[in-house]
Amino acid sequence: MTGWGEPRKERVEQRIRVEPDGTVVALSGKVEFGQGIRTAFAQLVADEMAVPIERVRVVLGDTAQVPWDMGTFGSRSVAQEAPALRRAAAFARELLERGAPVAGEVPDDVRLRPAAERRYVGQPMPRLEARDIVTGEATYVADVRLPDMAHGVIVRPPARGATVRAVDDAAAKAMPGVLAVVRDGDVVGVVAERDDQARAAADALDVAWSMPARTEGETLEVAMRDDGGVDDAVARAAVLLEAEYTLPPISNAPIGPSAAVADVRADGATVYAGTQRPFGLREQLAAAIGLDEERVRVLPQMPSGTYGRNSSADAPIEAAILSKHAKRPVHVQWTRAEEFAYAPTRPEAYLRIGAALDGAGRIAAWRYDEHTNVHTGGGLDARLAPMTSGRNAIPPYRIPKARVTLYVEPTPLRTASFRSLAAAENVFAIETFMDDLARLAKQDPLAFRLAHVDDPRLRAVFERVARTSGWGRKTEPRRGLGIAGTIYHGTYIAEVAEVEVDESGRVRLVRVWAAVDPGLTLNPDGVRNQTEGGIQQSASWTLYEEIRHRDGRIVNTGWDTYPIATFRDAPESIEVDVMGDPTTPSSGVGEPGAVCISAAIGNGVFAATGVRVRQLPMTPERVRGR
Amino acid sequence: MKTRLRVNGTEREVDVPRRATLLSVLRDDLGLTGTRYGCGAGQCGACYVLADGRAVASCLMTVDQAAAADITTIEGLARGDRLHPVQEAFIAEDAMQCGYCTSGMIISAAALLARDPRPSDASIRDALAPNLCRCGVYVRAIRAVKRAAGTVL
Repeated sequence: MTGWGEPRKERVEQRIRVEPDGTVVALSGKVEFGQGIRTAFAQLVADEMAVPIERVRVVLGDTAQVPWDMGTFGSRSVAQEAPALRRAAAFARELLERGAPVAGEVPDDVRLRPAAERRYVGQPMPRLEARDIVTGEATYVADVRLPDMAHGVIVRPPARGATVRAVDDAAAKAMPGVLAVVRDGDVVGVVAERDDQARAAADALDVAWSMPARTEGETLEVAMRDDGGVDDAVARAAVLLEAEYTLPPISNAPIGPSAAVADVRADGATVYAGTQRPFGLREQLAAAIGLDEERVRVLPQMPSGTYGRNSSADAPIEAAILSKHAKRPVHVQWTRAEEFAYAPTRPEAYLRIGAALDGAGRIAAWRYDEHTNVHTGGGLDARLAPMTSGRNAIPPYRIPKARVTLYVEPTPLRTASFRSLAAAENVFAIETFMDDLARLAKQDPLAFRLAHVDDPRLRAVFERVARTSGWGRKTEPRRGLGIAGTIYHGTYIAEVAEVEVDESGRVRLVRVWAAVDPGLTLNPDGVRNQTEGGIQQSASWTLYEEIRHRDGRIVNTGWDTYPIATFRDAPESIEVDVMGDPTTPSSGVGEPGAVCISAAIGNGVFAATGVRVRQLPMTPERVRGR
Repeated sequence: MKTRLRVNGTEREVDVPRRATLLSVLRDDLGLTGTRYGCGAGQCGACYVLADGRAVASCLMTVDQAAAADITTIEGLARGDRLHPVQEAFIAEDAMQCGYCTSGMIISAAALLARDPRPSDASIRDALAPNLCRCGVYVRAIRAVKRAAGTVL
């Protein structure tokens, strides 16, 4: 993929530092937000240096200390960083054994410790942060408290891109606790001693806005695969099936809304931020406050989840601008309503599939049109579109002739990165369609898939999950089993959902089984936890979630109007089989769990009721089929 | 306005506007940031604390109302170095990812086990239903509460 680049030559001291007290400091530009990479990195460094894990301290994303990094997304942390950290740690151990200082370029032929001598990698490990989390000692970005810190609130424009004509701040300035009313370009805000004072004053500000000119925007058409002759093959088909699928825009919806703290001085700035891209954020901050990049330090903090949300920098830039003008450290805490209304969303998607079966019930030709919007914060980029908006649009099955076309269309909504990008949308459509094709071919859905699988790892996860779930067994009345699988960024995954549909059409997820093969596994329980979480979150997208909007403004901005799954909706169990082969390079697990479950649930609903739902969320009305 | 509060067994005096929420006082005046801000509307459970043993949303309670109650926050659950059984169980089951909602979940679970030491699966789900989690650790958290209750494992 563009931008990942070749491995760089690295100096060991960029990665490993040994403190006078023997503490091993491991440095990485990746960031922790609950996916457990701090623990995974500590495990592999402890193993490679042959020290107890308690002696390893992992520093993540501090731009003043760690090597440059593009960002933490796409389930790439382990795949990308593990080799670099491991090699640096191995070299550091060599140097220490020779009594040499830990410095110098990591040689290509550094000797890694054999797998048999590893003590931590591959073992289930409780998260290093666990005790702090359960005692409330863990601090998130919203919990950063600096001496003399004030609170800032931004006045939101009536539309994206609206510009400020005039600000009347007479009333606001006289309100209790107000320290500064800030106008910087089209950013308007208030800084006060207390958060509620800043919010009251922001409400009292009278801002005259100019609405932006309406622009239509362009559609980008990308041919992702075109084998030629697809239309002819479809026209000659013995059997043809066509279907369309619709997914609404949805919200990342972290439980804690965005927050940041910035301390901007004339000669430098320190910004505490939840970010997936510390170095990218540093560049944006430098531009926003007019400082050289080297004078800006980004200290990544734990955000509340992320799921793609923290690829877009909002609160950190706002806090920095307010701090610059107020000349105080400023804490910015978005409200719940702000988070729903102004955070980027997962784009809506409209998918159309047509496929022809030959006389033997095999797929002869496949036509796929994906209509969606930009899936990253960076805007429309034709080179990246197939990997972002088009992610997983090409099925992992053997298909002689296929044409897959991506249309990235304009939208009035702000859209950006979301867990798995477009994979969850595409896999919902493809894996639902595979079930219908199987029925048409008079084959079992699993057997039909396997008949089109060449990759042994994909076959293995399908076969494993079929075994653990008891695929093919008779279920209780009103219940059904659904299966789906895919390859996500190198990780193989298949899932089975057992669902129950009541007379009102309400779907209950009863149990879930998953088989996942991410290659070499550092922390099997971490893999299970991430996969379970992806399944639970994606089940919520599937069954409940939809952003409603009018004239580009999001109207459901609270948990009452944007409900997500609760404890009552959780399945009885989620069983995840981790079947990574230790000789295969690691691939990510942060996203794959979320990719297949929509189709697995829908296929289960069909098995239970005979009703095929092709539009999300699967509300009772849609499941009743009338 | 000066108000006296009883938080985690200690008398604390704060000087804040009367309408200030208990949540803002805990976080901004008493430095107890383990109680998290989530929605400000009592809809997510992130800010739950124990008020006289009941799990309540601190974002809906004014400092005035809180003054009449005995408040326990997540920081006050452990006894010295000894964690509350619910805290131990959440670690043992790794029932967390980002951990932002964990404080509120543990508070709800502690309140539940105090009034019902052997809760059914359904009572656990009901008691914790106000605590939203986006990372999706519900199944693990239910297991953790059962472990703490000693009904499984």
